[in-house]
Formats: sequence, C-alpha cells, structure tokens
Amino acid sequence: MTNKPLIGLDPTSGPLARTDERALPSRPASLDGRVLGLVANGLGESKLFLDAVYEELTREDDTIAAVRVLKSSVSVAPEPADWARLTSETSLAIAGFGG
Amino acid sequence: MAATALAAEAHAFRDEEDLQETYHANGWTDGLPIVAPTPERVEAFLAAAGLAPDVLLGEVPTREVRVTAEHAAINAVMAGCRPDYFPVVLAAVRAHLHEKANCHSTTGTLSGAVQTVVVNGPVRSQIGIECGAGCMGPGFRANASIGRALRLVIRNVCRAIPGVLDRASFSSPHRFSFCFGENEEASNWTPMHVERGFGANESTVTVHSVMTVDSAVDFTSRTPEALCDSMLATLRRNGIAGDEFLGEDTTAMLVIGPEHQRFYDRAGWSKADIRDYLFPKFTEDPGPNGRIVGIGKKEGLLIVAAGGDGMAQTYVLIPHLAIAITEPVIAPA
Repeated sequence: MTNKPLIGLDPTSGPLARTDERALPSRPASLDGRVLGLVANGLGESKLFLDAVYEELTREDDTIAAVRVLKSSVSVAPEPADWARLTSETSLAIAGFGG
Repeated sequence: MAATALAAEAHAFRDEEDLQETYHANGWTDGLPIVAPTPERVEAFLAAAGLAPDVLLGEVPTREVRVTAEHAAINAVMAGCRPDYFPVVLAAVRAHLHEKANCHSTTGTLSGAVQTVVVNGPVRSQIGIECGAGCMGPGFRANASIGRALRLVIRNVCRAIPGVLDRASFSSPHRFSFCFGENEEASNWTPMHVERGFGANESTVTVHSVMTVDSAVDFTSRTPEALCDSMLATLRRNGIAGDEFLGEDTTAMLVIGPEHQRFYDRAGWSKADIRDYLFPKFTEDPGPNGRIVGIGKKEGLLIVAAGGDGMAQTYVLIPHLAIAITEPVIAPA
C-alpha cells in the first residue's frame, strides 16, 4: 500500500516581483560635485544627525551640495513632491530613520 | 460562489513531520507548530465565509503585496482556527489593511508594535471569544487562533519577517496573538462597536496597532474622577505623539476591568462621561514628568469593558502610528 503524500499550500504572497531590479545600485567612487538627498523621518534627532553627516562630508569635499527632505509624517513615505525633488535633483540620497 | 481554483503553490510532503519541519525551515511559521494547510481545509474555510479564493482583502503598496481571501484562509488554518472563526479573521485582516491602520509602518517599526484585535457583537458567544477572566492570555482557542491568524498573515503575506522588513529591536510576546472580546453583557455601557456606528446585533472586529500595553493599577481610588486621574497618569507617562498622516484621528484604548467599572456604574458614569472628564486634560500641560496625549477628538479615546474580577486594573493601550479600524464580520450569503 502506498501512502498518499500530504499536500500543504504555500502561505506566502510569493517572491517579490522584479527582484533583479532591487539589487543595490553601484556605489560612486567619489562624491565630487554630486548633489546628495538627505531624507530625515523626523523622529528623534534624525535631522540634526543628517546635518552633521553632511557637514562632515563637505569638510572633505566642498563641491557637494544637498537637497534636504524632512518627511511630513514619521510613518509614511515622503510626499510625491519630495520624491520628485529627490529623483530629479539628486544623484544619491541618505535616509535617516529611528526613534 | 463561483468555483475558482486555489492559486497557492502546492507542495507534497512525506508525512506530518516532514510538513512541519519544512514550514519551519522555510520561515513560514511564528516558531510554533501549525495545522497543515491542505487544499481541503483551505476550501472549507473559504466556504464558511462564502468567498472565492481570489477576493481581494487589501493591499500593502510599499511591499507590492495584495492579500486575498485564499492567503487569509491558508494562514487561518495554520493558526489553528475553526472554519466558523474565518469571517472574524477576514474582518481583522481587512481592518489591518486599511490605509490608516498603516501596515507598513506598524509591522516594520523598531518599536515592535502589536496588533490588538477586539471582537464585539453576537459572534463572540457563537464562536467562544473570551471577554472575561484571562481574556488577554492563553487558554481560549478562538482568541488565541484568531489573533495568531492575523499575525501569520502579517508575517507570511505582508512580508513582516523579523530582521528583514520587521525591524523590531525586541518585538513582543503579544505578537504571537492578541485577541479578546468586549464583555458587553457584564457592563451596562454602550459597546464599542455601537459607539462606532454599528448596530448592537452586528458583529465587528476592531484592530488597533499598539506600541505599549501598560496598566493602570489603582486599588485605592473610590471615585470616577480619581480612577480617571490614574488612567490619565498612565497615558501621560507614555505619551501619544501626534502624526501628520493621522491628523486628529489618533486613537488610544482603555480596557477597563470590572473592579474599576463598578465605581463608574455606582456613580452613573457612561463611557461618554469618562471621555468628557479626560479629554480636556489632554490639552493641559502634562507637567515636568508627563508627555503630551495627542488625541485630537474626544471619540478617539476608545473604551472597552473586559477582564475578570479581583484586580483593580485598567489596561491602557498606547497606539503606534495608526488609528483603530472597525470592520463588520460578514456572514456568508
């Protein structure tokens, strides 16, 4: 007598789509002349922290500029207008979060 | 209901042990054993709710997730639910996926916020939801498995995997399951779901994201005002931060036990009277050791009667960046 196999269903929503596009982008060799996006979520001292990071970076390279975004809510993504500024005006961004 | 095939990938296992070990190895459980989600069991759950498997319950856009009735059924089977619990699970999943329940933030947060599920209406007695002594703890199948089903959906379908999209530093034991009912029969108060616009004979589920489960224990106060002041002190000790996304709709929940309820009953205080007393104090200076209680509307203070005799206690559920959402439990057509 052969036992019937037990069938179990996958409980997940499956793998993320477009995983190949989610790979980390290559890191720039230099920040020379680049515009950095600085995205603070507004919790704790996230804005001050990012300002300090920027100050440190500009001490090493004064050709860097910044676009600062302070999220209007700590709990959701930046506003569409802020996304537009980040994607059109910056070449890389640093997001700071925390509580 | 039109017959629609199940979409989930089916896997064959040698036996029960093989299935259990594989589900654990794949990260498909909360660390506890599960009930095997066979196609027959999942179809029985869907039939109990009168839903086709592809019915959409909600989405998490930031995670590219769409949650269907089939997803919920598979995870409810795994959690140990009975088929007749499934309409309650569906209401909980719908509530959690409401935009202002803020799934992405509340399940990804460093704070390890938990999802509290409160059941109101006739379904409580129909399926055995505990509302009295021990209602927030183990020992009650409906409470335990319904709360667990929502958490398994959050983990497996909404992708809240600890250390990945779930960034909780410590997380919480309440994330295994946190479901109880309002003890409507033991109180002369208006039930929460009626206060929120539903009929007394309707059944509902209210889901609230909670960052801190705190306790206002007060054995000595003998007046409604003094008890409210104890609850206020607990609210102020934790504080409730405002948030642009939620605006004035922020909610918090007081789960008032019978020993405290008695003093309100004797004084003839309704839930509305408690709000009338507390709400103006939310805008007062909380003092040097207190924090702001950022609830923008009086009705944002939700009050639930629950728990057992003996302990003079009220649980104070401090929210995490979401508002309480109440969904009806929909009986199959």
